[in-house]
Amino acid sequence: MFLDSDLALSALRALTPILLAALGGAICERAGVFNIGLEGMMLMGCFTAVTTSWFTGSPWLGVLAAALAAAAYSLILAVGAVTLKGDAVVLGVAMNLLAVGLTSFLLRTVFGVQGTFDDPDLAGLGEIAGFSPLTWLSWGAVAVAAVLLSRHAWGLRLRGVGETPEAAATLGVSPAKYKYGAVLASGVLCGLAGAQLALGNVTLFSENMTAGRGWIAVVAVMLGRALPLGVLLAALLFGLAEAAGFRLQGLGLPQQATDAAPYVVTLIALFLTTAKRRRKTGAVV
Amino acid sequence: MPGRSRRTLQFAALAAGTALVLTGCNAAAKKGESGEKGSKAFTLVTPDPVGQNEFLKLAVTGVKSAAKAHGGTSKVYQSSDSASQQQNLQAAVDAAPDAVVLVGFEFADAVAQQAEAHPKQQFLMVDACTKESFENVACATFREHEGVFLAGAEAGLLSKSGKVGAVDVLDTPQFRRYSDPFAAGAKHVDAKARASTRFVGGQSPFDDSARAKEQAGSLIAKGTDHIMAAAAAGNYGVFEAAKAKGTFAYGVDVNQCPSAPGTVVDNVVKRTDVAVRDGIKHILGGDAGKNVSYGLEEGGITLTGLEKDVAGSKCVIAKHEDVLKKIAELRDEIVDGKLKVDDPAAA
Repeated sequence: MFLDSDLALSALRALTPILLAALGGAICERAGVFNIGLEGMMLMGCFTAVTTSWFTGSPWLGVLAAALAAAAYSLILAVGAVTLKGDAVVLGVAMNLLAVGLTSFLLRTVFGVQGTFDDPDLAGLGEIAGFSPLTWLSWGAVAVAAVLLSRHAWGLRLRGVGETPEAAATLGVSPAKYKYGAVLASGVLCGLAGAQLALGNVTLFSENMTAGRGWIAVVAVMLGRALPLGVLLAALLFGLAEAAGFRLQGLGLPQQATDAAPYVVTLIALFLTTAKRRRKTGAVV
Repeated sequence: MPGRSRRTLQFAALAAGTALVLTGCNAAAKKGESGEKGSKAFTLVTPDPVGQNEFLKLAVTGVKSAAKAHGGTSKVYQSSDSASQQQNLQAAVDAAPDAVVLVGFEFADAVAQQAEAHPKQQFLMVDACTKESFENVACATFREHEGVFLAGAEAGLLSKSGKVGAVDVLDTPQFRRYSDPFAAGAKHVDAKARASTRFVGGQSPFDDSARAKEQAGSLIAKGTDHIMAAAAAGNYGVFEAAKAKGTFAYGVDVNQCPSAPGTVVDNVVKRTDVAVRDGIKHILGGDAGKNVSYGLEEGGITLTGLEKDVAGSKCVIAKHEDVLKKIAELRDEIVDGKLKVDDPAAA
């Protein structure tokens, strides 16, 4: 059978890290900070989660430490882009590069291994009703973010700061404060995404283990128009495309073709959503 | 806004600089390990830090034992990135030892240049070769497919479902050496055995253990109970998937059984030490520039189960002496040429 429950489970496992990171990206986008450092923050989360779980024996402390470490790492973007008014794209790229080098270096220094740290005694996150606890948390986070952004005063101010910072400032809202908050929140979410990947999806750390998931999250933010529900749907689409790709290999499709599945899906989705939007708004360009 | 862009640049430079410092500092610092002065000198240049990398540790063992055998000295230059690979190769050539030994495909282009520029310097490339052949470059390559075939035979003998599979890095002829012969081996001992392969692929196929785990999971969901793991760092993901469902896996290059005892059945081991030791012997014996392929016959490829220390290997196969007996027979047939293993990379 091609469409079986295994496919759905596989898709949901692929979804969680991307969804958490993409939610972080969406919050930043709403606050007017273009965050492409998701990949790097996630990788910092992976490493911190594994290190903390290994030395304390508690995967939960690992999750907590991953969230804190990635939030601290996200300060590079907050200070650089908000306080120093640097280019967020350059900062994001630098953060991604730095994270790969830094975690590889720390892997050698802390564990004395190169490439991968894996040990049968490393404690991973268990499952609650078939899913990692962070999977459940990610669904909750989508709901909270959706309500906050559309209904709560914080969310409205955050969006105001993102759309017209000058107007927000004249109303007594500090754009810098909200932008810092958004970037730190994305750090926390990416840290959780990293913890899910390194202690949930698998229980190990290997260099560059995020393997482009942060970039997929960046695309999910754009595809989902930075709306929490839109981001959820976009991330789900990627998860499904990836899981379906694995199954298609089983049916004899070459790997090079199944590799392209998520990107083909992205392009189709982009075409369809932009065409629909254009009809709705009647925009010419 | 000139002020703004200058600041951006400063920041980017700072961040990039930090990354370089962090990743690059191993390159120069870890050189050394020279012994007392002897008549012969050998230098090994590795593509990565040796650290806990079992594959490179074996290469170090090989160059040391060669030095001992020929009463000479050995040096090991450990690289950490492509820049330090070039620097270390240059430094090795500048010192003009009797042989410069390089491990890995990363060196193929650089060695070709150096071999042309220094015709009197002898090079030994292990696990790779230059595109053109040079009189002063000897290559030691491996016939991995022979060992993978034996692992497949083990899987065929041990499988309860009659379904075996492989999780491979990429769909290229070179990597198919780890999947096609596995299927052939299983079918050789069990004509009804069925085999399938999944390729990790994606943006970084060598690092993505989560993807490799999902691929292995999709094989297990179809009833596969013995999986060849040839997914680089992804192997650990394959082991996790196999362990979770009580199925079995096979490792590559070195003994990977300790990372998942009770799950990993056996490993297709590449004896880099044998290749380095013999390669140096050939060079000193006047057979410079000769390419040698190492398989079961030369002892360059073997299974952990066929080695002497199998009992202490933590491999599942240690408990199946009857299977090992049959595998040893198959090995002898391959060595004698009675049984031929197809090489997917031979075109």
